Amino acid sequence: MTILRSSVAPAAVAAMIAGTALADTVTLDVTAWKGNESEPAGLPQLIEAFEAANPDIDVEFSYISRLDTNVVLPPRLQGNNAPDVMMTDMPLVKVWSDAGLLADLGTDSDWYGRIEDSLKPSITSGDATHIMPLEVIGMGNFVNMGLLKQAGVDKAPTTIAELKDACGKLDAAGIKPMIFTGGFSAPLFVIANGIEAMDAPASTLGGEEAGFADSAAFNGVLDTVRELIDAKCVDPKAQAGLDPWSTALTEFKAGNFAMMPQGAWNIVDFSSVDGLDYVFAPVPSAKNSGVALDLFGIGWSMSEQSQHKEAAKTFIEYFADPENLQVMLDAEAAYSPFKGGASGTPDLAAPYDQSRIDGGVIMYPFAVLDWPKPLENEIWDSLTGFLLDTEKSNEDVLERWDEAVEDSF
Amino acid sequence: MTRSRSMYLFALPALLVIGGFFVYPIVLSVKMSFTDFTGVGTAEWVGWKNYDRFISRSRYLDSVWITLKFTFLVVTIQTLVGLVFAVFLHRLPAIRNFCRAVLFTPAMMSFVIVGYVWQFIYAPYSGGLNAVLTAVGLEGLTRGWLGDPATALYAIAITHVWMFVGYTTAIFLVGFANIPSEIEEAGRLDGASSWQRFRHLELPLLAPSFTVNIILSTVGTLKTFELPFIMTRGGPDRATNTLSLEIVNNLFGSYKFGFASALSIVMLLIVVIVAVLQNTYLRRREEM
Repeated sequence: MTILRSSVAPAAVAAMIAGTALADTVTLDVTAWKGNESEPAGLPQLIEAFEAANPDIDVEFSYISRLDTNVVLPPRLQGNNAPDVMMTDMPLVKVWSDAGLLADLGTDSDWYGRIEDSLKPSITSGDATHIMPLEVIGMGNFVNMGLLKQAGVDKAPTTIAELKDACGKLDAAGIKPMIFTGGFSAPLFVIANGIEAMDAPASTLGGEEAGFADSAAFNGVLDTVRELIDAKCVDPKAQAGLDPWSTALTEFKAGNFAMMPQGAWNIVDFSSVDGLDYVFAPVPSAKNSGVALDLFGIGWSMSEQSQHKEAAKTFIEYFADPENLQVMLDAEAAYSPFKGGASGTPDLAAPYDQSRIDGGVIMYPFAVLDWPKPLENEIWDSLTGFLLDTEKSNEDVLERWDEAVEDSF
Repeated sequence: MTRSRSMYLFALPALLVIGGFFVYPIVLSVKMSFTDFTGVGTAEWVGWKNYDRFISRSRYLDSVWITLKFTFLVVTIQTLVGLVFAVFLHRLPAIRNFCRAVLFTPAMMSFVIVGYVWQFIYAPYSGGLNAVLTAVGLEGLTRGWLGDPATALYAIAITHVWMFVGYTTAIFLVGFANIPSEIEEAGRLDGASSWQRFRHLELPLLAPSFTVNIILSTVGTLKTFELPFIMTRGGPDRATNTLSLEIVNNLFGSYKFGFASALSIVMLLIVVIVAVLQNTYLRRREEM
């Protein structure tokens, strides 16, 4: 009996302690469109490390694709059942914060003070901020150096003149120079060069004051596209309607094209292809450095309804630590949104890195809400139409953009 | 009186379900179509603005036209091809069950898989269709089938027909099975050829199968968005931008739930009008 009592008593005490510890454990509901097998972004590793460093916080992570985020989360936000922490981007932040569903993360935090100056205005609304940025990803020109060398070109083109010269040589060597799909690739080129040529900030064209049809910069870029077609860079009719997310990527990976404007998120996939000798360079432009078109893609936001705001804040701040964030940047081949220039890009992105250093950075205007989201699709559609019929006037194309901006109000 | 009251009482559960799950969402959509709702938060009343935008912008009217054109193509081709398959299978009982299962298989596949497979078949540079055309000496016909506005809608329509022709065939085969064997026998005894029996006996008796096939495929195709979304995302330059795709883009691309609701109401009206007209015409034809 004594033996029994002596063994039961410590067990009961241990159970009570464990019970108390369990009661003190906070379970954080976290959702993201990264962190799955195909796009881990270092999240599984980081969440495990976070839980080890914060034993009182248990993270319940759910992967929800970006498309599904639009469908799954609004009812949860409306119904007081939102996750504590959600992966967001600026279009989501705009809609959800306007409805008062996101918590203000404050502008007095350490991480806010370290955000790149170019990003701060976009994520700040008055004295409030509703997103902690996680990464900035480059969008530039993938260049198959193996094919360029075959044509006698040993440097990825960064200027329009170099691009035309390379295209001429590639075409003469029987190599298809460039994938220039009406969706995504051509828009990247046109947006990057158009904004670079503007005298005013990009946001002036996304509002009610000025129109694209009257913009000398964008009229000029459409003329440049015609020049690229004349220089044999682009076979417009064959490529206009090519799917930028499947067929175009397959063609580049197969070595059927020498160049392709696309996003750096493809680096991991392209690097897995044996024998694909490529670099990631800036979008060729009028400037010697080319244009590094940076996309501010993702960040963490906290639900206004969260019952665990302190734990959620701890989770978000964990990712602001440079050492922790580096895991994600490496997995994503991305740049840090914080001052100091940390990046996870591999050596093959050196031309793009150099362009960023030389001052050729332009923020993708839709990701920082300079231009309304519906305009993005209109640009893709209208440029596809333009590539199919380059006899169309610039005005025909650009007036459609103005109409899309007008519709967004 | 008591009998009438108990009838209403028995009908009440069904009426509640219909009201709650069918009528109420439609009423809610109509209400939402007069607001600027973004999916969350509160909605502001905007009057007829969403409907005014639908009428004043050619892109939305173009979407209606594309939807109707796509539906006409799919319903016509699918019904004719389904009928041809059913006629042959009706006359070939030895392989009927096997072929019916084979024809039905694509309908059981996911839209995503079908869309991606056909996207590669239609691919301009290393696609299967262009490879076949090149192999048989028709290189001049090769093109980016989904990248050319002149062919993209037809290419998707063919994929849609390929996917669902098994349904049409199965419905026609049921129609054939319902034709009394005495009628066919009488035709044979009178010396009618196979074509004459089909034209003058089977075709008129298949009228109910035509009604079911045409109405089902019309309503289904008018609402289609999966294949255009997967294969072209409405491109090139909106050549395949159906009304359903426009609704999805406005909902989840632009967060314009109010405007998307207005488009949904327009689509509902189109579906109802087309279905009623078709049904009236086809029922009348059945009675002739």
